Amino acid sequence: MKQTQLQYLVGGFVLLGLGAVFYLTVKLGSGALLGGDTYQLEARFASASGLNKGGSVHVAGVPVGRVESIRVDPEDFSAIVTVTVLSGLKLPTDTMASIKTTGLIGDKFILLSPGADETNLSPGERITLTESSVDIESLIGKMAFGSLDKESESEASPVP
Amino acid sequence: MKRRLILTLLAAVPLSSLPAATTLEQAQTRLRGAVDEVLDLARKAKDKNTLMQRIGPVLNKHISFDVMTRRAIGPGWRQFKPDEQSKAIALFTKLIIRSYGSKFTIGVQPEVKYQSAAAPAAGRVDVSTTTQYQGSRYSVVYRLEEAEAWRTTDVVIEGVSMVANYRSQFDPVFKRGGVAAVLSSLEQSAGRPE
Repeated sequence: MKQTQLQYLVGGFVLLGLGAVFYLTVKLGSGALLGGDTYQLEARFASASGLNKGGSVHVAGVPVGRVESIRVDPEDFSAIVTVTVLSGLKLPTDTMASIKTTGLIGDKFILLSPGADETNLSPGERITLTESSVDIESLIGKMAFGSLDKESESEASPVP
Repeated sequence: MKRRLILTLLAAVPLSSLPAATTLEQAQTRLRGAVDEVLDLARKAKDKNTLMQRIGPVLNKHISFDVMTRRAIGPGWRQFKPDEQSKAIALFTKLIIRSYGSKFTIGVQPEVKYQSAAAPAAGRVDVSTTTQYQGSRYSVVYRLEEAEAWRTTDVVIEGVSMVANYRSQFDPVFKRGGVAAVLSSLEQSAGRPE
């Protein structure tokens, strides 16, 4: 009898654990753990190189949202990034969005720097003041091996 | 009647794409004029002092320093009183003009090549260029906005925005010491010899 009770207890505990894992998976997947309601914004970048769906969105170093999708604008071939941010966060219309890297070669994330405008961005609105990701690898390459442009162009430069 | 309607519709189709094209052209023309004016000054200047004296009025004409200052200071700007805002704009203008003018080497002419232009929002145009200067090539995007005329509100060099760069510096200063700290920091930077 005691043996059966113990088996039921263990079975119940395992089921509870599985339920918790399922709950967390669903919540993390939808970003609901960010804490309540969210709204979407778009940001236009010349390049979103290295940024991934699910990447985090920060304000003053605090995570406030995540990258929902990344697509190419077929008209001007810029990258349009859709992000969700906490609905309690009112961002001025001149907020700047920059793609930054954690450390030197870490994950890319979006940093939002609120501006000074009196009006705020509405859900679905697009942030146009942006900084694309800086290609560290090519900068290091230019520093280490020099720029191909340098020699040919210095000769071509008009020197009065 | 039907014919007239069709003709009206046909005429309206090319016209509908006209405002966007005109906007881009107007902004690009304005930017070209501004760049030519600055390059002409740099070519004619015999020494750095002359250049620094003459470049200010030209930049004031083509750059919206009030918008630039407001955006560079960021959220703290709302707590500036009108006289403090005027002081901040004057100091930031002085800082940018001095910093920009000091980048020129007398006798060396930069070469600016214009590339694409895009209108990311109404009244906004981004013009991409490449600037070749002293043997190096830089990607420069000019952000222009239309108020009374098209004026530059930000410059993005190799992906780094000038406004964002200053905002990231002013914001912690404001959080640490408020309006007085920002003005003091601006006074120090603007008064420092280049």
